[in-house]
Amino acid sequence: MTDHPKLLVVKDLRTTFATPSGPLPAVGGVSFELGTNETLGIVGESGSGKTVLSRTIMGLQPRRNVEVTGSVLLKGFEVVGASEKEKRSIWGLEVAMIFQDPMTSLNPVMRIGKQIDEILRVRQGMDRRAAKARAVELLELVGIPSPAERYGVFPRELSGGMRQRVVIATALAGSPQLLMADEPTTGLDVTIQAQILNLLDSVKEQMKMSVVLVTHDLGVVATRTSRIIVMYAGRIVEIGSTREVFRRHRMPYTRALLDAIPKVSNPSHSRLVAIPGRPPNLLDLPTGCAFAPRCAYATDICRVQRPRLEPAEESGHAFACWNPLPVAEGALT
Amino acid sequence: MSSSLIVHEMVEEAHDRPARKKKLGVLFWICVGWLVLNFIGAIFANVLPLEDPLFQNYAVVNAGPSLHHLFGTDDLGRDIFARIVFGSRVSIEASLGSMLIGFGIGAPLGMLSAYRRGKFDSVVTAVMYVLLAFPAIIATIAVLSFWTPRSLLKIIIVVGVASIPLVYRVIRGATLNYSTRDFVVAAKVQGATDRRILMKELLPNVAPVGVSFLLIGIATVVTLEGALAFLGLSVNPPTPSWGNMINESISILQTNPWLAVFPSLAMCLFLLCLNFIGDRLRSHFEVSEGKI
Repeated sequence: MTDHPKLLVVKDLRTTFATPSGPLPAVGGVSFELGTNETLGIVGESGSGKTVLSRTIMGLQPRRNVEVTGSVLLKGFEVVGASEKEKRSIWGLEVAMIFQDPMTSLNPVMRIGKQIDEILRVRQGMDRRAAKARAVELLELVGIPSPAERYGVFPRELSGGMRQRVVIATALAGSPQLLMADEPTTGLDVTIQAQILNLLDSVKEQMKMSVVLVTHDLGVVATRTSRIIVMYAGRIVEIGSTREVFRRHRMPYTRALLDAIPKVSNPSHSRLVAIPGRPPNLLDLPTGCAFAPRCAYATDICRVQRPRLEPAEESGHAFACWNPLPVAEGALT
Repeated sequence: MSSSLIVHEMVEEAHDRPARKKKLGVLFWICVGWLVLNFIGAIFANVLPLEDPLFQNYAVVNAGPSLHHLFGTDDLGRDIFARIVFGSRVSIEASLGSMLIGFGIGAPLGMLSAYRRGKFDSVVTAVMYVLLAFPAIIATIAVLSFWTPRSLLKIIIVVGVASIPLVYRVIRGATLNYSTRDFVVAAKVQGATDRRILMKELLPNVAPVGVSFLLIGIATVVTLEGALAFLGLSVNPPTPSWGNMINESISILQTNPWLAVFPSLAMCLFLLCLNFIGDRLRSHFEVSEGKI
């Protein structure tokens, strides 16, 4: 073990893409920490940089036209600047990833069992028989019925939810400490979504790992995360324990996101709440707060100077806003 | 209205049912059988009870089909059936040999280009497009007319090199289709090496496209040999080849039409079978592709 008590320490991480129309800061200075056996939710709209952030933490970025600065320490391993060969030593074994679309994240011409025991044999050095036994075990762990028979089926013979379970099983094969889940339920039916999230929860407990859950759906993170990061335009605008962020959020953007969740208790045919305006153009970010043009509380200073993350009352809770919502008003039941 | 709904439901059901095999059809297997027969003939021509394809029997020239000479004889009294069987060797050797060169160089380059992208891809693709810009047939004819004495090996080399950019383009395109999918990224973050991703993840997906293009390639080379023979650029007579035989038959087409009919028929059937198999395989794999 290393001297870092935290599993993951991200410091001032910036990912900038070089585009023909100039540098695009997809992630613009993000810092946070993640302990062991913790679930962190990263929420934000499309284009807020949450996917790029999760991929940068993995060390997955295009080979060209991208600049990554800052630091990502994963169990003491510096991901930023590491070569692919070096990263291969943590990929799969320390950190694994599951993807948005289970339709494309499995090899269509390989039997699902093979896709799991490949990893076991290559990365864990298991022999054929042990790998197969373990693969069946993993399939059972992720809730595939009659796993021994399903071992030999092709992905196309499974439904979307089943495929996502297989994807999770492949991610678990290397017994990683950290599982990055990039919108793992977006491609699935609503009824299946809850099952997959519960599954993630239970495997997290069983394998004593941490999970980073990237999503645009606050409902997804509400009950399953211990902490939440709210991202906007490549930056963290609010971070805190799930309870704090839901109950005592200070950033108007967080409030807007929460308001946008349709509630069953609303009278029927009531209008869905939307956040006015569009996400900012990252190529041409305003000098002030990136949310200011869409914010009902914006004042002059918001348009001139970017607010920094300020700690709130509870430790670990911080927000970036010049005109934070009063604590009482932020209460949400 | 309701019937379409029912059909829809049935399709859905079929989708969930595991392990259902699609059939390739009887015609497919007949074609495969015919090709296998051709290959056996080519390989064992020496051992089979055939007449010597070079033996000139002046007692029977320009004879029509008979029990003794199944397909008749040519103007020099040589047995046409024996010459067709021996002639298939040239066609098959030329096509397999040149495809070996074309795929041996074009396919790995294409896969690597599509997987690595970047500078490597740009450079190799540019070189391939320069090669493609030459009209392949004319370039082949030009090279073969100057590179004497002609031999089967030279034909194989020239045609093989000419096919590299074509194979490259097809394989690169097919690989690109898969190399950007999540399962490749997934394999990568599982710690798979590039080599492993290329061999285990990409190759099995690209293979169906490669195989059907290989069949088309073989068919094209067989035709090309015919064309070259027609211009007198194929193997030197008296070695029989399908192209040579058709070429020789032209001058005596009026006195002995059989001489043109049988080699043409042999080539035609061979090509037809290849194309049909290629087509069948492609649609076979494409359908399952659509279901993914």
